[in-house]
Parts: sequence; C-alpha cells; structure tokens
Amino acid sequence: MEDLVGVTARTLYISTTATILASLWGIPIAYLIASRRLQTLATVFEALVGIPTVLIGLLLYLLLSKQGPLGSLNLLYTPTAIILGEAVLVTPLIVGASHRILKASIDTYGELAASLGASRIQAMALALAESLPGIASSMAMAFSRAVGELGIALLVGGNLKGYTRTLSTSIALEVSMGEYGDAIRLGAVLLSLSLGFSIVARLLGGRG
Amino acid sequence: MIEARKVWLRYTPSQEWVLRDASLTLAPGRIVALMGPNGSGKTSMLKVLAGLIKPGRGEVLYEGSDIWSMDESRRLQARRAAVYVSEKPVMVRGTVMDNLLLGLRLRGAEPRQARDALDRVVEGLGLKGMLDMDARRLSAGQAQMVSIARALVLKPRYLLLDEPFSHLDRARRRLLAELLEELRGEGVGIAIAGHEELYTLELADSVAWIESGRVAMQEPGSVLI
Ligand SMILES: Nc1ncnc2c1ncn2[C@@H]1O[C@H](COP(=O)(O)OP(=O)(O)O)[C@@H](O)[C@H]1O
Ligand SMILES: [Mg+2]
Repeated sequence: MEDLVGVTARTLYISTTATILASLWGIPIAYLIASRRLQTLATVFEALVGIPTVLIGLLLYLLLSKQGPLGSLNLLYTPTAIILGEAVLVTPLIVGASHRILKASIDTYGELAASLGASRIQAMALALAESLPGIASSMAMAFSRAVGELGIALLVGGNLKGYTRTLSTSIALEVSMGEYGDAIRLGAVLLSLSLGFSIVARLLGGRG
Repeated sequence: MIEARKVWLRYTPSQEWVLRDASLTLAPGRIVALMGPNGSGKTSMLKVLAGLIKPGRGEVLYEGSDIWSMDESRRLQARRAAVYVSEKPVMVRGTVMDNLLLGLRLRGAEPRQARDALDRVVEGLGLKGMLDMDARRLSAGQAQMVSIARALVLKPRYLLLDEPFSHLDRARRRLLAELLEELRGEGVGIAIAGHEELYTLELADSVAWIESGRVAMQEPGSVLI
C-alpha cells in the first residue's frame, strides 16, 4: 500500500482545489440567479445535483482522451483532470445551495440596508457579507462530496500510484486485491474527512 | 413633508392591486396612524412612502419633488430624510452596538457624528445593559426596540414605524410612546402602522384607515372608541 499520508494529502489537495475552483464560478452564478431571479437556471442546477459521478467521468474522458476535442492538452490521467471533474461535479451543489442563501439574504438584508439609506451597492455588500457563513457551509458540503468521489478519479485519474491515486481509488484497488485491512484503514480516514467537513458545514450553516 | 399621491401598487403584473388610488401625507411634527386589518396594505404603503418600492402609478413627493423622477443618487439623498422600520426586526451578525451603528456605517458616516443621538436612544429606550449582547439572541421585544433605536440613531426627519408596539411589553410601550412624543415635539414626522391599538391611537394626530389598499383619512376624535 502506498504511504497513507501521501494519499491523504493528495486527496485533500485535489478536493480542496476542486471546491475552490467550483466556488470561483459557482458563487457568481448563484449571485446572478439570486439577484436577477433566474428561476429556470436555478432549477437546472438543482436537477444536476444528483448526477452520477461516473457520467461526468465518462464525459470528461471523452473530452480529454487523445482523439477528443481537448486531447492536445494532455490532461488525461493527471491530478488536474480529477480536479476539473470534481469541480464540475460539485458546481450544481454550490450553485443550488448558495443561490437560496443569497436570495434570502438579498431579500432580508438588502431591504434592511435600503431602509437605512444605503446605496444599491452598499445594500448588496451587506447582503453578501451576511450570507458568507451559509456560503462557506455550502463549500464544506461540496468538499465532503468531492473527497469521497470514485467515478471521476478512476476514469480520468487512472489511479496512478504516487500521482493520481486518491483515498477512494486506493480503497477500490485494495478491495480488488483482497487487502481488506488496508481498505478499511483508508476508509476510516476518508470517513473522518468527509464527516469532519459535513460537521463544519452544519456548524457554519447554523450560524448563518 | 412626504406625500404619497394617488398611488397604485402591485408586486407582480398578474396580482391584484395592493394599493388603489391611495394617498397619505406625513407632515413634520405630526404623528399619523395607519390602521387596517392584516393584508390591507399598511406595510406596502409605508414602503412606498419610504421610497423602497416604486408604485405602478401615482407620485411620491419629498418636500414637493417626485422621488421617482429623480436620478438614483438624488433619490437616495432625498430618501435619507426618512427611515422605515420593518415589522420583522432583522439583526445583522454582531452585537447590539454593531446593529445600532449599522445605518451610519452604510451611509459612510462617522459614529462620532451621532454620539448624541446614540446616547439618547440608548438611554431613552433602555438599551444600556444590552449593548454588548449578541444581536441574534435577543427576544422579539428586545430586537424590536433595537431596530427602532437603529433608525433613530440616524436622526431622520421622518420615521415610518411598521407595527412598532407588536412585541413590546407594557413598560417598553411606555418608553417608546414617550420618546415618540418627544420627537414629535422636535418636529419629526412619524407614521405608525398598526391594528386597533390604543397606544397608537392615543399618540396620533390623525388616523388613516386602510382597507383592501384604499385609504380613507379621518380625524382622531371621530374614531376614538
Ligand atoms: N413582496 C410581496 N409580493 C407579493 N405580494 C405581496 C408582497 N408583500 C405584500 N404582498 C401582498 O400585498 C397585500 C398587502 O400586504 P401588506 O402591505 O403587507 O399588508 P399589511 O401590512 O396591512 O398586513 C397582501 O395581499 C400581501 O399578500
Ligand atoms: Mg404589515
């Protein structure tokens, strides 16, 4: 078995980067949906929350493979490919959760600010500031989904030892080789990461 | 003077009119009570007077000028003469003091400039022991007092209070009523939306009844039960 610390660190790096990347485009989209009341777009993202990870893996595989439209980027079987896939995976989750938080916040705090004589920009700034804990909570949720994901990591990561192997693909490998003890050890680490971030999400959400 | 003139309002095009040909005047140094059943349009009328929502038809005049024909920055300037206090007190994260200073912060003003107003509302509304409390943990009555105080810190010339007595106990009602009478004496124009509360009626110089979005003006003598 590859060194547990290394795999864990790589898994953390990949899912954290994916979550941040997804937030960079997801939160502005959520803001647009909330402020312009783009309900149809919101519904589309909410419908995509449960999309099977293996489908995103397949789609990305077709895009990144040698003959695919993005084949020349040579991203297949790299950590970047997994990051991209997981970012796509958690985008609907981030957009879905944050647009609700932002909408409620704009309704409540936007009006409060306006009634106290704030300009439109100041009112929006207050609404954004007040929604930060909730948005952070949706990011923690996204992380906890990304960290345990298998389909994408396997298909576009390739489970290469010391390079793209993550906790979830290691577990799959150990089980296939009958090394149940190692698989359970890896599983325990994965569970604590995923639970840890779910709890963080809860705590942040409760404060929002 | 703030005047809503023949205002028609609805929130969505498919909705029935929420305000119909409604007029209301708020003069300096006067208290007008806006009375009516739930859903009659009291909150909508106060928000129209505050310049927070634009009516479909009609005019909203601040010292004679229609705020909805002004550009945005002039409208903001005019609107700052009035502060609307919602029936649902909303607190931002932080302490009671953070909330009291919120309006100043949003307007880009120095808290020092409002020292006297701040001291006065803290004293007048009995908030002294609460300043360091977490604003999100206040009782409904405490939050209502803080949200009214937060408006008064801005020294508005017009005050639009939406059901301000609803969560208050008797002692707090007394405090608020006394402070409002004092402010009236100093020339502040005050509108109070409410149900048929004696407190509001006692304070009012005039009473406007609203039903299904239509406003009827009446003098207090004729309606006091
Ligand atoms: N944001 C809104 N969107 C749609 N309808 C609203 C909205 N706010 C109020 N209304 C409707 O307008 C009518 C008047 O409401 P409101 O002004 O809150 O009355 P009141 O304060 O007298 O209870 C009600 O029928 C209410 O359902
Ligand atoms: Mg109301």
